[in-house]
Amino acid sequence: MSQDTVVFSARKIVTMNPSRPSATHVAVREGRIVAVGSFDEIVGTTGAKVDDRFRDKVLLPGFVEGHSHIMEGMMWSLPYVGAFDRRSPEGKVVKGLPDIDAIVARLQEAEKAMTDPEAPLFAWGFDPLHIGSVSLTRQDLDRVSTTRPIMVVHASFHISNVNTLVLQRAELDRTTNISGVVMGKDGEPSGEVQGIAARFRVFRVLGSNPLSGNLTIDDVNRYASSCCVQGVTTVTDLHNDLAEQTIEVYRAASRRDDFSVRLVPAMASVSHSPEQGVEKIKALRATNNDKLHYGIVKLVVDGSIQGFTARLRWPGYHNGAQNGLWYIAPEELPGIVAAYHAAGIQMHIHTNGDEATEVALEAVEAAQIATPMPDHRHTLQHCQMADAAQFKRMKTLGICVNLFANHVYYWGDSHYDLTMGPERANRLDATGTALRVGVPFAIHSDAPVTPLSPLFTAWCAVNRVTSSGRVLGKETEALTVQQALNAITIDAAYTLKLDHMVGSIETGKYADFVVLDADPLEVAPETIKDINIWGTVVGGTVREAPRA
Amino acid sequence: MMASSRKTPVTVIGGFLGAGKTTYLNHLLRNTTQRYAVLVNDFGAVNIDAALIAKHDGETMTLTNGCVCCSIGSGFLDTLGRILDSGSAFDHIIIEASGVGDPWRIAEIALVEPSLLLNAVIVLADASRIGALLDDVRVGDTVRGQFDRCNLILLNKVDLLDRPTLDAARASLNALRPGIPVIETTEHTLPGLPEGRFKPATRFAATAAADHEGSFRRWSYRRDGMFDHGRLEAALAALPPQLLRLKGPCSVAGRDSSQLLQMVGQDWALTPTDDELSMGNNILLVGIGTSGLPPAETLDAILDAALIPQSITTADRNCRTIASPL
Repeated sequence: MSQDTVVFSARKIVTMNPSRPSATHVAVREGRIVAVGSFDEIVGTTGAKVDDRFRDKVLLPGFVEGHSHIMEGMMWSLPYVGAFDRRSPEGKVVKGLPDIDAIVARLQEAEKAMTDPEAPLFAWGFDPLHIGSVSLTRQDLDRVSTTRPIMVVHASFHISNVNTLVLQRAELDRTTNISGVVMGKDGEPSGEVQGIAARFRVFRVLGSNPLSGNLTIDDVNRYASSCCVQGVTTVTDLHNDLAEQTIEVYRAASRRDDFSVRLVPAMASVSHSPEQGVEKIKALRATNNDKLHYGIVKLVVDGSIQGFTARLRWPGYHNGAQNGLWYIAPEELPGIVAAYHAAGIQMHIHTNGDEATEVALEAVEAAQIATPMPDHRHTLQHCQMADAAQFKRMKTLGICVNLFANHVYYWGDSHYDLTMGPERANRLDATGTALRVGVPFAIHSDAPVTPLSPLFTAWCAVNRVTSSGRVLGKETEALTVQQALNAITIDAAYTLKLDHMVGSIETGKYADFVVLDADPLEVAPETIKDINIWGTVVGGTVREAPRA
Repeated sequence: MMASSRKTPVTVIGGFLGAGKTTYLNHLLRNTTQRYAVLVNDFGAVNIDAALIAKHDGETMTLTNGCVCCSIGSGFLDTLGRILDSGSAFDHIIIEASGVGDPWRIAEIALVEPSLLLNAVIVLADASRIGALLDDVRVGDTVRGQFDRCNLILLNKVDLLDRPTLDAARASLNALRPGIPVIETTEHTLPGLPEGRFKPATRFAATAAADHEGSFRRWSYRRDGMFDHGRLEAALAALPPQLLRLKGPCSVAGRDSSQLLQMVGQDWALTPTDDELSMGNNILLVGIGTSGLPPAETLDAILDAALIPQSITTADRNCRTIASPL
């Protein structure tokens, strides 16, 4: 073996390569895997040097997060005030906050640390649903400051709460009867604002929108750091306009040797005409490097189920709420799909409700008839309400699916009680159906909507338990741990057309590993989310996860 | 001068895919004598004669008549913010809602942004499709919702249809929004904006202008006095649907400064205005309605009911209804 070959030994290597499911040694050269096997196979005959720092650890292929957003990296520059514990890019467990007082206290702490008295204080992750549906009023936020603008963005990212100062500056007082300025019990605005008009006004008086500012290298590095903390070595940014500034930041970040993740940005179809989009993706693809992989496009057909903006087939929402919103019109979708399909560009199509899924299936079917394209792997993203008939159509059409397993935990109770009712909620994110029908599938977090953590996502798909402890469709839709691990490694890579490079530990692929303290296949399935992640190896470079 | 003089009027153009929104925008851009900023939702959809284009810079097109046209994809709010920040003096901002979007959601921006004034929400309907679209199982709710808060409907492409079909289309729109004015249009007879000034230079101008003048009437309401906030709310709700819009400065009891009232359809906002009124307590509102607008006395009586009794003076009853030259 060549001098610059390094052999990592481990207590166990779970390869996710069905031809060689486990091993103890992996040889790495030039960032790629030279060989995988036993001591005898790898070291015995060659005398290669062995790096045994992982002798007590378990290696798996680095996790592949097939649906998350760079916004996860942007949000962590701001205080988190959500209901659940969440791990920061520095590896710190930021405790979930159980009530308004705790939220106010955290905001007060953040406020004290700010030096510029004029600068607005933004926070994120407020989640009224999981703290007893209480609201965060402007009076609560006034306890933090009456002289500094404060804005708290909900976990949904669609609603915000502001303090009285912001309302005054924005002149959003009671003389306005526009929707989106929510009134409190006293008949005065409560501080809750939503919708584009109120948002526009608030961001203008605040001087900036922290969610749409220019991407910085710090944001990308925080994202990469979170990936390391969570064992992710290939990560998507699944909806991005890809403005020049962003492209430049991604280029610079990905070319650094110490950049510790492979980034897969998807161009937002809404940002370009299909003709421009095709040209842009082709041009960007030519600039790919080993840690930056352009080539896919994201289409968003409907909204979200818990926000009642997803498009549902009859009989619609369980609680009778009116049907949701089309973000792309059903009659417009076939033209967009046909253009990208004919150009050979892989589409990732957001469809939450089953009516949106139906429209997407029709569009891909028409495109396939017009221009048969082998191995297109167009992937439905979320696709939370699909039934067996829709999965069978996916199978026939060669469509993949990336199911939102984390929803079972975070919104499963809402889906059971309000949005879908018991029957449909039990087959929410139907991983079992996908398996039975034979549709290639991944599972995802949609971070920052839910936490970036593939082991947690796998735990959701295996246990199918909601935050209140209700179990949803476990007998029919749950995965085994092995199946769930497939869905966060090799099969997630398949949905990104990167499974020839990442997703398993086998000869020829990038040397991308997650280093675990325990083997997920050996621990109790209820505990796989709790396995400690030591760090990652990306292209042979070892990186211990930060711990704060 | 009226308090609204420094605010830029905003008109939102809505309607489902294929209704003719882009054709309408093209028409407005080509024929205006004013300086428009147009925000378009479709990429490359605005098809301006090359001779009229002074500069084409990425997604922004500058025309020889000073108008600017931006394609907005997902960055709509940023684009609008940049236009406001640029300090450019546009006479009017026109925003095209997406084919599946709700134009009212965009119109609300002009109600809350102090530098803007909502002029109108105009929704176009393709006369040949609107009946079917309103009942469509997938998009019917979306299409119906687009008309919820509009204050003018352009029933477009009427030249392609016979009278019974047109009457059926009008009937379904009337069932949806009783009393809302509907103007029948073709590609060549599209009107200007309810407040815009059109140059009479195009070959279709004669028809357009004729249609247009017959379509709108003006009403002004002037009082020395002060409104009671609660009664004003009730009075505004009682105004007839033929009144498309109402705006102007007024005094409201309990408010220190003069207020700017903006009402479009049934939606209104009061915002403080720094503008000095000519003399103390003062109300000067100007409304625009369709030709079916009730007489001025009827409208006056509705608003008079909102005045605080001791504040009424009749010395300045010079209100009248005049045909608008627009």
